[in-house]
Amino acid sequence: MIEYRDIHKTFDAPVLSGVSLTVPAGETLAIVGPSGTGKSVLLKTTIGLIVPDQGDVLLDGESVVSASREKLQEIRRRVGYVFQNAALFDSMNVYENVAYGIQDQIAKELGRQEVLKRVVQALEDVNLDPPAVMPKLPAELSGGMRKRVGLARAIVGRPEILLYDEPVTGLDPINAAAVDRLIKYIGDKTQVTSIVVTHDIEGALLLADRVGLLEGGKLRFIGTPQAFRSSTDPLVRAFADREAAAAAAAVM
Amino acid sequence: MADALSAAWRPLRLPMRCATRKEPAIVEMLLSPFVAVVRGVNRVGESIAVHAGEMGILAWRVVSALFRGKMPYREFLTQAYSMGIQSLPLVCVTAILSGVVTTQQGGYQFTSSIPLYVLGSVVTAGVVLELGPVLTAIVMIGRVGARITAEIGTMQVSEQIDALYSLGRDPIVVLGAPRIIAGLVTMPALVAIANVVGIFAGVVAAELDVGLGRESFLYGARLFWHSYDLFYSIAKAVAFGFVIPLISVHMGLRTRGGAEGVGRATTASVVFMIIAILVSDAMFPPLFLD
Repeated sequence: MIEYRDIHKTFDAPVLSGVSLTVPAGETLAIVGPSGTGKSVLLKTTIGLIVPDQGDVLLDGESVVSASREKLQEIRRRVGYVFQNAALFDSMNVYENVAYGIQDQIAKELGRQEVLKRVVQALEDVNLDPPAVMPKLPAELSGGMRKRVGLARAIVGRPEILLYDEPVTGLDPINAAAVDRLIKYIGDKTQVTSIVVTHDIEGALLLADRVGLLEGGKLRFIGTPQAFRSSTDPLVRAFADREAAAAAAAVM
Repeated sequence: MADALSAAWRPLRLPMRCATRKEPAIVEMLLSPFVAVVRGVNRVGESIAVHAGEMGILAWRVVSALFRGKMPYREFLTQAYSMGIQSLPLVCVTAILSGVVTTQQGGYQFTSSIPLYVLGSVVTAGVVLELGPVLTAIVMIGRVGARITAEIGTMQVSEQIDALYSLGRDPIVVLGAPRIIAGLVTMPALVAIANVVGIFAGVVAAELDVGLGRESFLYGARLFWHSYDLFYSIAKAVAFGFVIPLISVHMGLRTRGGAEGVGRATTASVVFMIIAILVSDAMFPPLFLD
């Protein structure tokens, strides 16, 4: 279970202003909202990549904010993180990048063959051809392929929690739908707890158990996809309905 | 009477009120250059303290990783190869030129009353005590230090450092420790090679250009030679080999703000490294030669 307690964060201006939220184990939560409202910042506080100015994040009751460096590393090993721009290591090929998602100690115990098997499985799960992509460097891949390799790296270590930062941004509709299906499949198959930060509202409504709308640094809406669709809140409606969004944009 | 007094004081009061109102402005105006200097010094001092503190923590965590056996040795070997073997040609060219130029200039100065064999001592001491370590350090700043900052800075702005954290890895252990330890190991070896090459180039230049035979050059070199000089030279190399990668890793990890940020961090890193090398070089004679 992930628990955000009254998270505040200010950079040049306040980004998060008191976000409280609980994500039960096994749930897939999608967070949507206008650009610059702190969705990625909230996600990064989950594993201590950004430390909130106030408030705390608890992972299964363990505080992330007050964790020691060793404890924090231990917490992070239980979490898979898919970065917005994949964040693949330039100097490593695809195989090495994905295999890096398995902890050194576990990789040593598994042996080379088992690590290779897991890497191949993870690449197949994200709809990539392992023999073709494994020797390639990230610079030789398209944007969509890089994203999927990033996803493979996040799932290869079989984490308990998966955090997705804009997993389909920049992908064509077919690949975006494939990644959405994959997120849902991983969530259903492994009962992993997932938080998906996205602008792809259609995908979010399809894959998520609950949808949260972050606006002005606060959680404006949280509920099921059905409740999101039927909400009377104008901003929620603008997100749920493209025509309403166009009308809102015209007014703004 | 009271009115008359009041009327008499009025002209005095007005300028006085004005004076009291304007006094702070005038004082402020007069002091403003000093205030600006004090503020500037304060800002620079604070910045130096922050950098020094962060580098102290970085150094401590590298040492701690080394003694806990957590350093990735494969990466260390890659870095040692890149810093050591691949820097060798440039280090040798620099050493040859420094040996030749010192010999030629010394030969020009010693043509009158000073015995020419003294040139052997001057060149040897110059190369071993100063030119070998410092010029090798300058080469390493340009070839290695700038590369490390740009590499780690790019990883920082493209979220690769965050990715390392998210995968339960410590970037200081994975990236910092192998580079800093590789610098510590390779720099003394490079300086030792630079010293030998520089002196050899001096011998050749003395024979060809100044007309001083090899035997006379080596006689002069032995005449004022102290074995301690070699320790002094290698001690400088160890210090520089630690400072260069330490600053470059530190500046790389502090990089913010895209490609422009990487450029800014790399430039700042090179400036800091040059200043640090020159300042630490200046600290060596009073500490080790007195």
